Formats: sequence, C-alpha cells, structure tokens
Amino acid sequence: MASTYNIAMVSDFFFPQPGGVESHIYQLSTKLRDRGHKVIIITHAYKGRTGVRYLTNGLKVYHVPFFVLYRSASFPTVFSFFPIFRNIILRERIDIVHGHASLSSLCHEAILHARTMGLRTVYTDHSLFGFADAASIFANKILKFSLSDVDHVICVSHTCKENTVLRASLDPLMVSVIPNAVVAENFKPLDYSKPLPASFRPHHPPPARPLGPHDMITIVVISRLFYNKGTDLLTAAIPRILENHPNTRFIIAGDGPKAIDLEQMIEQNVLQDRVEMLGPIRHEEVRDVMVRGHVYLHPSLTEAFGTVIVEAASCGLYVVCTQVGGIPEVLPSHMTVFAKPEEDDLVAATGRAIAALRANKVRTELFHEQVKSMYSWTNVAMRTERVYNGICGAISEAEFYGYDAANGAGSWSATRGRSGVQSFALIDRLKRYYGCGIWAGKLFCLCVIVDYLIFLFLELCFPRDQIDICPDWPRKERKLDGKEPG
Amino acid sequence: MLTTAPRLYIRRPSPTTAEFTVTTCPPLTLPLRLLLLTLHLLRLVVAAAAVLTLYSRFLSIPPTTTTTTTTTTTTTTTTTKQLLLPPLLAGDVPTLLTTLLQAAHLSQPGVFLTALAAPVADWAVALLSLGALYAAVCFQLHKTESVLVLRGLGIQTCSSASSSAAAAAAAAAGTLGWWWAGKVGGGGAGGGTGSKSGWGTQTRFIPTEKIRDVLINEAFRGFEVRYYLIVVVEGEEELVVLFPGLLPRRKIVEAVWRGFRGCLVEGEGGEKG
Repeated sequence: MASTYNIAMVSDFFFPQPGGVESHIYQLSTKLRDRGHKVIIITHAYKGRTGVRYLTNGLKVYHVPFFVLYRSASFPTVFSFFPIFRNIILRERIDIVHGHASLSSLCHEAILHARTMGLRTVYTDHSLFGFADAASIFANKILKFSLSDVDHVICVSHTCKENTVLRASLDPLMVSVIPNAVVAENFKPLDYSKPLPASFRPHHPPPARPLGPHDMITIVVISRLFYNKGTDLLTAAIPRILENHPNTRFIIAGDGPKAIDLEQMIEQNVLQDRVEMLGPIRHEEVRDVMVRGHVYLHPSLTEAFGTVIVEAASCGLYVVCTQVGGIPEVLPSHMTVFAKPEEDDLVAATGRAIAALRANKVRTELFHEQVKSMYSWTNVAMRTERVYNGICGAISEAEFYGYDAANGAGSWSATRGRSGVQSFALIDRLKRYYGCGIWAGKLFCLCVIVDYLIFLFLELCFPRDQIDICPDWPRKERKLDGKEPG
Repeated sequence: MLTTAPRLYIRRPSPTTAEFTVTTCPPLTLPLRLLLLTLHLLRLVVAAAAVLTLYSRFLSIPPTTTTTTTTTTTTTTTTTKQLLLPPLLAGDVPTLLTTLLQAAHLSQPGVFLTALAAPVADWAVALLSLGALYAAVCFQLHKTESVLVLRGLGIQTCSSASSSAAAAAAAAAGTLGWWWAGKVGGGGAGGGTGSKSGWGTQTRFIPTEKIRDVLINEAFRGFEVRYYLIVVVEGEEELVVLFPGLLPRRKIVEAVWRGFRGCLVEGEGGEKG
C-alpha cells in the first residue's frame, strides 16, 4: 500500500494552451507529487515551447516535437511516436501511463505503446460524445481501439461514465468516477473573511447579505460562445428575462462564433445598457468577473462535468443551469435551480432564482465553505491513487472492484488475469482487440502486431542499457492516509 | 574493437587548471598500436594508388608492350635517383613530386594499376580514385573533444577529428598545407577566439568574464532525449554546446560539470553537488 509510482500523464492538451483538461492534469499531477509519487507530463510541442521543461514545482514536461503533420495524417503517426515515447518511459522509469482526453491522439497512441511495453495504463475521459454523426462514430471507434486494452478508466461524472461505457463497450466495473475539483482559494467571494475556528462557527455564521427589493441583480454568463454551450438558448432567453425582471442586468464573458448573434440580439432589443459583453477573458480573471454578479446562468446543451458552475458557486453565486449531462451530479440542490434545455423553462428557472434571491431565501455567502469541503484536488489525487493501487495489484481485487464482483470474477472476463489485472501476453491482448468489430477487429490486431514488431526492433537497435536514467526530482515525503477534508 | 564508447580522461597539470578529454579511442595497447599502424599504412597505400591511377590516366600513355616497358623501367630507375636528389636538396617540391610520380608510373605496380584501370571509362576512374583518395585521407577513426579550464582566464574547447597516433596521410597533408601557407605568405595562424589549426582541429577560447554559467541540459535529438553540457556566453544568442560531436552520456557529463565548477569557480571546493 505504501508504494509510490512513477506516473506519466500523456495528453495533447497542456499549458501554455488554456483549458479545463490542462488545468486538471496540472492540479492532479501536483497533488500526486505531494503524495510522494513521481509525475511527468508528455505533450506535443507548442509554438515556442519545445523540449524538456520543468515547471516551478519540479513537474517535468516533455514537449515532444515532430508532430507537425499530425492532424492531416493521423494514421502514420500511430507508430512514429513510439521510439521517443519508449525512450522517455525508460529514462524516467515509468510504471503507469495515464492518458487524458478522448480527442487527444497522443494519448491513445501512448496507451497502445505502453501496453506493448508492458506498463499499466489508465485513461481519463473528460467529455461526452454523441453516437449519431460520422465524426462521432469515427472518434468512438478510435476510443474503442485504445480502450480495448486499458487497465482502468476514470470518468469525471456518472453521466460521462455511462457515455464512455457505451461508446467503448467497456465493463462498467473497470470505470471509476472521480469528479473534477476546483482550487477554492482562487474563487473566493468578494467580502470573504477567514472563517472562525470550528467551535465558534455555529454561533457566528457569516453575516447574510440581504438584497433590497430594488437592488440590481446581476446575472453572469462565462462560457465559450459555441453551439454546444447553448449560446442560442441564451440569445433567445436574455430579452425575455430582462423584460420580466426590472433591475436585472447581464454580464457575458467569453468569445466564439456565436458572439455575433448575441450582439445582434442586443442591438435589436436596444439592451446595450443592461447587457455587458466583456469578450474573451483569461482564467485568472474569471473570479473577478464572477464576484460582480448574484446569479450564474449556465445554458449548456452538453457537459461532462461543468467545472465552471462549481467555480461560480464557490464565488457565492446562485447557479441556474440546464439539466444535461453530468451537471445534476455536480452541486447540491440548494445551490442550483435546474431548467430543461429549452427557452421557456430557462426563463422560468431564472425567474425563480431571482425571486428566491429577492426573498433572501438563499444563503449564498455560505456556498464557498460548502464547495471547499466538497471539492478538493487532494481528494481527487487520493482517489486516483487508489485506482493506481488497484490496477497494480497493491490492493486486492475484492477491495478494488467490490466483493460481489470478485466472487464472480472468474466468469465476467475471460481475458482478465490475476486480481483484476489485465494480462500482458500478446495473445490475450489480441483477443481483446479482435472483439472490436468484423473489420475493425482485424485491423486493430494488425496494428497491435506491427506495434509489437516495432517494439522488438527498438529493443534491438536502441538497447535499454544505452539509455541514461534520469535522476528524480527530490520527492516529497509520502503523507499517511489521514482523513482529508471532504 | 578499434573504437569504444566515449571515454573521459581528466588531466590536472596544476590546481587551477584541468583538461577534460572525451575520446572514442580505446587505451593504446601493443596489439592496438600495431593494428592502427597497419591501418594507417593501408590508408597511405590506398591514397598513393589513387593518385597514381589518376596520374597515369592523365598522362594517358597506354603501355605499349611489356617487354619495352620493363627495359625502360630499368633504365629510368637508374636515372630517377639522379633526378630525385637535386630537387630534394633545392627544396623544389613540385619537381620532386612529378619525378616521383613519373617513376612510380613506370614501376611494376604502376603498370599493373594502369592495366587494371584500362577498361574503365575516364569518368569512372576519376570518380573512383577521387573517392578512394578522399576516404583514405579524410577517414576519421577516432574522435576526440576536449575542454581546457583555466581558472581566472577561461575555457578552451578543442575538437579534433584524428587520433593521437599521428596518421601518416594526415601528417603529410598537414605539411603540404603548411608549405602552401608559407608560400602564400599568410604565416600567422590562430588569431581571435576561434581558429582552425592543424588537421581538422577546431579550437575556441571563451574568457571567464564572458561565461555566465555552465549547465547540464536535456533535449530531444533524433529518437531520444540526450543530456549535454552547455556554456551560456554573454552577448551570444546561441548556447555553446561542449562535446557537440560526441555527446557523451550522463555519467561523463556530470563528472565534467562537477570538475568544471570546481576548477572554474574560485572559492568552491573540488566537489560541488
């Protein structure tokens, strides 16, 4: 149990590019390092960001070059990444390869190669996908290929788990749900003061901030303005909400192709003084925008987790959101008003939220402490570590998968070996891939065999003892499994 | 057998000086010396044969009959000795060389070579012999790169292609180059910070005031990630890579870095973690 691992996080998405997956990888890696593991990150080269870099806390990032022709020709690069990947894995002595994000081809390749090299693999899915259109079918096939032989999958919400299990035909037992988290310190309400010691707290809750009947209520929307984020819904709802409720105004931050629609709507209805468009903002500025408002409106049509509503609640905003994807799992009901993803219901739900705020029924000033206790990256890292323990056989199958599953373990997967650990034997791997489809199965088997041959060739041409071992960054003391808050 | 993986030799002539040499040359044992000598002789023979073939084709004197040639050979050998001596004494190198070549051309191996090359087309002969000549002269068996650290003065990097066991062909070519330089009149060599001296040896001096730092870095190179030593030089965009041709492995790089810091930076002990 006390063992520590060398973990490689692989994803196409990492800093300097901003985004949810990027910050997830960074936060998770940092917290895993705090728990005494060694973590490196492998991503592709960004403009002006090539080679090997250390982030300030000693997190090592490999920005692998030569991915120039990568979107245009996806298939040939399936194997071209292998030599450099093998080199990195060997010099860093990696035990576990952890891929992120389903649209990252680097992640899928890494999982394939890692299995060929005999490493444990984990995959984290951050997004929901459809099943209908051609692009989704292709993406799902790729996902199925890469997940045929993965040791464990982590999803950010139960909805996401359901989606992934269906898309990749996985055994639901090998999919865990570990939600995202937020750094609550970065999302404090405006007049936040450090809470008093626990003994005083019940007697002195933070003072309520009553709203007068004619005080201005500000509704904040922060999202990329795309179709799937529900910008059309927003465009339709804003004039009606403003008409029904005097003394309200909107602040909209973010950019995207739908921004022009919003601007047209503002001009048509002459709402320039009540709707403020901020344009694109940086992630650090999100909190400053959020604390200007009272209600956060999230009209998204599909969402795997919705970190932004957690951030909004942490800033002390009352959240109005559509009941889609993983959103209903994210926040407790007293912080949110749900709406169906349609115009009428969104307007009605916003009305209910405004009414509740005006009646001072919602104690938004308490939200921050509650969110802080619910979501912490330390907790996410602990749960991820448990997954690592499970796939490496450090904790027993019964403990990891549950006792019911363990009793019937012999029957529920023919290719699964000792204690729920996937066998590395090539024939067992081929069996798993062959089941992917009539043609796809054979094609995938071919890929795996070629990959294996390349592996043997590399072992001959670049022998292991010719590769220098990296010295480790001084590891932190492994913390004992005390009860972490949350 | 003739080369090894890069090895490190450290020489410390004085407490404030250290020379770090990385070479692919294995320790010189007697069998190895003999082998190297044979190899150099072989190179010499190949180079001479190539020059001779070119010369005979240039003259394009097809050997008429074997009998007449042998007779002429015997007559010429006597005269060659008389012909060779005066230019050697006078130091007239071109005359000496032409006489030598003429003599070789008329000798037994020369005739054999001419006969061998006879059925081959002109351009092919030119190409083959030039190729052989180039390979024989410029063939580098060992690579040696060194860094000399002088406390208070700076560092001098030096990368040489040939081995320490002076290659005969290389030496000859070096002399030729020196003679040519003398004839032209540009006697001075080695001005400024960087210069090319000797045969394929490149040196560069970096004064201490210009050195910002010496670091170990890692970077992608081909299909792998390598460690290398760099010197950050003030006022230069590019970093100076030490041992750029050999790129020794981490163990050597670390040893050099430690020694470097110990020698270059005053006040620090010999070892610095």
